Amino acid sequence: MKRYELIVIGAGPSGLSAAIEAAEAGMQVVVFDENGRPGGQLFKQIHKFFGSKEHQAKVRGVRIGENLLAKAKDLGIHVILDATVLGIYKNKEVSVLIEDEVQNYKADAVIIATGAAENMIPFKGWDLPGVMGAGAAQTMMNIQGIRPGGKILMVGSGNVGLVVSFQLLQAGCEVAAIIDAAPRVGGYGVHASKVTRTGIPLYTSYTVIEAKGVDSVESAVIARVDECFQPIPGTEIELGVDTICIAVGLSPMSQLADNAGCQMEFAPGKGGNVPVLSETGETSIANVYCAGDVAGIEEASSAMIQGKIAAAAIARDLGYIDDIEFAEKKTAYAESLSKIRAGMFAPGNKGKVFEKTDEGFTISDSLLTKGYLSESELSAFPALDASGGTHIVIECTQNIPCDPCQDVCPAGCIIVGNTITQIPKLDKDKKCSGCGLCVGVCSGQAIFLVNDQYEDGYGTVGLPYEFLPLPAKGDVGKALDRSGAPVCDATVVEVRTNKAMDKTAMLVMKVPVDQLSSARFFKAAEGGN
Amino acid sequence: MSQIIVRTKTSEPFVPLPDDDLIICRCEEITKGEIRKAIHEGMRTLNEVKRYLRAGMGLCQGQTCQRLVLNIISSELKIPGGELGRITGRMPVRPAVMEAVGKSTEHSEGVERYDR
Amino acid sequence: MRIVAHPIIEDYQKGPLVQFLYNGETVEGHAGESIAAALRAMGVRIHRYTTKQHKPRGVFCAIGRCTDCVMVVNGVSNVRTCITPLEAGMTVQTQFGLKAGDGK
Repeated sequence: MKRYELIVIGAGPSGLSAAIEAAEAGMQVVVFDENGRPGGQLFKQIHKFFGSKEHQAKVRGVRIGENLLAKAKDLGIHVILDATVLGIYKNKEVSVLIEDEVQNYKADAVIIATGAAENMIPFKGWDLPGVMGAGAAQTMMNIQGIRPGGKILMVGSGNVGLVVSFQLLQAGCEVAAIIDAAPRVGGYGVHASKVTRTGIPLYTSYTVIEAKGVDSVESAVIARVDECFQPIPGTEIELGVDTICIAVGLSPMSQLADNAGCQMEFAPGKGGNVPVLSETGETSIANVYCAGDVAGIEEASSAMIQGKIAAAAIARDLGYIDDIEFAEKKTAYAESLSKIRAGMFAPGNKGKVFEKTDEGFTISDSLLTKGYLSESELSAFPALDASGGTHIVIECTQNIPCDPCQDVCPAGCIIVGNTITQIPKLDKDKKCSGCGLCVGVCSGQAIFLVNDQYEDGYGTVGLPYEFLPLPAKGDVGKALDRSGAPVCDATVVEVRTNKAMDKTAMLVMKVPVDQLSSARFFKAAEGGN
Repeated sequence: MSQIIVRTKTSEPFVPLPDDDLIICRCEEITKGEIRKAIHEGMRTLNEVKRYLRAGMGLCQGQTCQRLVLNIISSELKIPGGELGRITGRMPVRPAVMEAVGKSTEHSEGVERYDR
Repeated sequence: MRIVAHPIIEDYQKGPLVQFLYNGETVEGHAGESIAAALRAMGVRIHRYTTKQHKPRGVFCAIGRCTDCVMVVNGVSNVRTCITPLEAGMTVQTQFGLKAGDGK
């Protein structure tokens, strides 16, 4: 039997953060992960995260994963891969299947950070090859480099459904539609806007009723639902798709905690069966902790902090840090956690419908039901500058915990304030230099650089662009509006990239001045690049 | 979870539904109709349905269907999902070759579970 | 179906192209990628046929949790192909019920 001071189960964001915190305190740590690669689901998160600097906002999940791994390596943490934990027994004995052998380990403390599994909805034909979890599609394209399909229907408009739809486009797939049985878009408005402006239709109050096909999916039948979520006969639409992705939420993988004998509870707000935890994440069994999605579905940023809190508590119990140091750490982590858990989409606000922002602005109905802002509703928001010349337009209209735009502006034009869920405002006394950094770093891709004095009758719109082939100066095509409908001809006049924007380009297109407030995406002409 | 589940309550007669042939447990190929029937035959909790039909006993151990079975029981019996228990998490909680599990003998203090 | 160029991901860190046997036929995939990925790149979507209803199944969760993508690999049944790395010379067979076969 091998002994460690701390066994961490799961090398995802939470588990790795916990292991790092514990190793830094001087503890001897081992991390088990059943996968061949560490990092959990972080490496398929190729989008930029929300939050503040302390939460690594505007950094892509994959880079956060790389940093965590590098740190774990520096600290000499044993990360054992292809190691499946099968059970936890009395006295914190842990059985691990490594290759074809069950090995037993023992520790003073255990952190269970096993994450979550995707929820599914059953419908006719849902067992056909080609129906898969949205996370499965993400793994195939972002980890394995394989397109899951050619043309895809996305079921679910939560953040997973929206983000994965965008990533499917980046991988070169076509997305036929995003549907949601709820009457409103589930995820962040900015994530929805990012996909709708490319022309993907988003249907709220629609569900999938059948996957058709002989050996694999050949089409999908969707239908509108009534208030009781029952399909309305006669509203069926058949979409020619070869893949159906399901993104209807996640459930904690808490079986190990249950097996260990931890007291469990059924908490729909946390995604299902979860262990009952103290504020540091300790279960009903002393020195057995849970952190991350297994403790309740949230996202990677909070999972990382939860891991650190659990590890700090264990370090204190085992005498590696004193009460004072622990109290300091706990306060700092709790504060960081409450910042990222704030806003309209906070874990405690699940299912709530907001009509107004904290500031009292009316939330765009178009954004909630169709996935894009209408121009008239946008005009009520403060980040519009009607002044002439180069200026930015910030289309960030919900209270989400994110503030990199404020940090990145060299001219100090953008104000979010200390409460990072505030909707960004413009400081009218400061002059935009036109650098475009905010366009490139905004994790929600919601900032546009507008110049209404480009040349006679024409202006330019600078927009974030993350697709291939990257258009070049001189390319012609159509400008699309927020709904993805073509509004006018457009010519690319500049493509700006730099290291700070980390592969997000700012594409500047020339459009007639009367389209400056509607043109939000560029689609190259067929045949051209 | 409530400790008492009323079993004497006569359930309403089983009425077939058009989507009864829908697969719910993908591993063991158990349909919605079979699960509904089992409920009308007296199964009341997730564990009971599991033992009766093997729904959730396949390779994935209920990873996909646990929630779906719960929803079916909940809507058939009109009992909130939180009162229907859960599939007991047992060693091995993840798929494992039984030969490997069987060979495992090295326990200094014996395999002993926490009191439940 | 392979992604040749991606706007964000520079390198999928694939191993060299190796040969393996798929239902008796010599085919190619990258060492270290999942067997499921190599098969999808070839256009294969059916990994197995179920025991009772003999229905086709393929990749469903892609992270080893749902066990729908199991196949017979090197003669061993129920191998989760989405998390099993491809190796040169592997034999991969469609699984019928619990074993390899021609489906009859």
